[in-house]
Amino acid sequence: MSHAMAASGAGSAVHAPPAVYRRAGAALAAEWIKLRSLRSMLITPLLGAVACIGVADLAVKNNAAGWAHLDAAGKAQFDPLVINFNFVVLGIVLFGVLGALVATNEYGSGLIRMTLAATPQRGLVLAAKAVLAGLASFALAMVITFTAFFTGQAILFGAHAPHLSLGDHNVLAHLLGTVYYMTAAGLIGVFTGILVRSAAAAITSMFGLLLVLPVLADKITPDAVTRHTVPYLPLNLGDELLHRHPGRFPGLSPGIAVAGLAAWVLVLAAAAAFSLRGRDA
Amino acid sequence: MSAQAGTVPRLGSSLDSRLRATARSEWIKFRSVRSSPLALVATALIVVLGAWLLAAGNRGSAAASPASKAAFDPVFTVLQGIELGQLCIGVLGVITVTGEYASGLIRGTFLATPQRAQVLAMKALVFTVAVWACCTAMSFAAFFLGQRVLSPAKHAGIGDPGVLTAVFGAGLYLTLIGLLGMFIAVLVRRTPAALAALFGLLVVLPIVFIEIPGKITKNLGEFMPDAGEKAFQLLHSGAYTLGPWQGLAVLAAYIAVAAVAAFALIVRRDA
Repeated sequence: MSHAMAASGAGSAVHAPPAVYRRAGAALAAEWIKLRSLRSMLITPLLGAVACIGVADLAVKNNAAGWAHLDAAGKAQFDPLVINFNFVVLGIVLFGVLGALVATNEYGSGLIRMTLAATPQRGLVLAAKAVLAGLASFALAMVITFTAFFTGQAILFGAHAPHLSLGDHNVLAHLLGTVYYMTAAGLIGVFTGILVRSAAAAITSMFGLLLVLPVLADKITPDAVTRHTVPYLPLNLGDELLHRHPGRFPGLSPGIAVAGLAAWVLVLAAAAAFSLRGRDA
Repeated sequence: MSAQAGTVPRLGSSLDSRLRATARSEWIKFRSVRSSPLALVATALIVVLGAWLLAAGNRGSAAASPASKAAFDPVFTVLQGIELGQLCIGVLGVITVTGEYASGLIRGTFLATPQRAQVLAMKALVFTVAVWACCTAMSFAAFFLGQRVLSPAKHAGIGDPGVLTAVFGAGLYLTLIGLLGMFIAVLVRRTPAALAALFGLLVVLPIVFIEIPGKITKNLGEFMPDAGEKAFQLLHSGAYTLGPWQGLAVLAAYIAVAAVAAFALIVRRDA
């Protein structure tokens, strides 16, 4: 902050606005202070990571215990990666909600008015927020994904069930795809939070969009409309990145899934930027 | 409460009139917050539009093979939008309480009515009556719309066995979810925490139990609050095959626990 003030002070002395990179650096520094000084932003990700890895390992443990009793068809269907990563369905909700809280927390406390007074370039504020939330999501997703993978596969190895290692065909790509998916969920949360400006509405949207709606839509018999919409819900796109065998939706491929998730993030980002510029804080 | 009424022998402040005054002030607070009608309208849209979409989307499976026809539940199919709509009603229950804590209004409320248990009881009563009326109306609307879309494939009439209970139970289920949210909110007093706890119980834990195969998780999974969804199912499955009223009783048990804790804490804690 003091750095930012020094920069703008120096700028006004020579009647020239501060350089763009300095303003960006100051905005990033301010967002970083706000992000790391939130008490809930340390505890919640930590608890979430423990919960995700715990669910993953419990699921793997129980599946590994049942492996010896499976029939031939069951053994053929046994996918060590899928049983390891079932938790991701819930993991992305954690990311979405954390992202939503990063954005709405400032609206709840009224700090957003101060933020926008200090940095009237609202697009810059949003970009700085998104960059930091994206980096934090990415780091957390890396930790969760790789810890869950190594512990889960070790449990399978110990139970003499089929297991995978990092060097196996496409395994690393699937893991990085999962990290990408979780990071995208975090950003979807940030931009939705900016759009709706209330923690209650943003958290509900995350649970609805990322979890309940896809599960509900899944039960509809595919027809002309649902065949071209349901696969593009974030949950189904992310699923496609995780499964080694062709997924349930013939129109999807990992490439389309990556592009589709990027499209969700970018469209929401554009909407958030547009509404942040136009609306009162 | 009657003891308190005895210690304040003021004219015109009989228990009856005080309850009425508290209920009236709770009603004013409930209806004058913009988010209350918004949440109810959102729920109605999801449940009724959902009934139309789900009925249209499932018409095929209702008419497919005899086996899928037998397994097809025309009531649950069209009312399933409630699984999404319950999030909105849960939020409504939560913010009815946490909104007052966030704005600081709760201090004014407790100054005006130091009988805190009375405040909470009237808040719950007003919420129940208002939300139950709306949710029952939207449940019946969703049912009739859905059955009209489903026909001539397998559909249900309101007079068929168990159907009236199911449609009525759907409105009751939504109301109870709101109440659960309300009492959880009294316990934690902050919107994000209350929502996380409520949605965790409603949506996340059941999925966790499905993902971890095993006898314990399977049995536990049947006794989560979403057992109340049995209320609007005609065909019942699962190890214990809870019926509609047993399912609602499981949900009511969770609410009772939360309510006891809420009443115990609200009279003790600072506001």
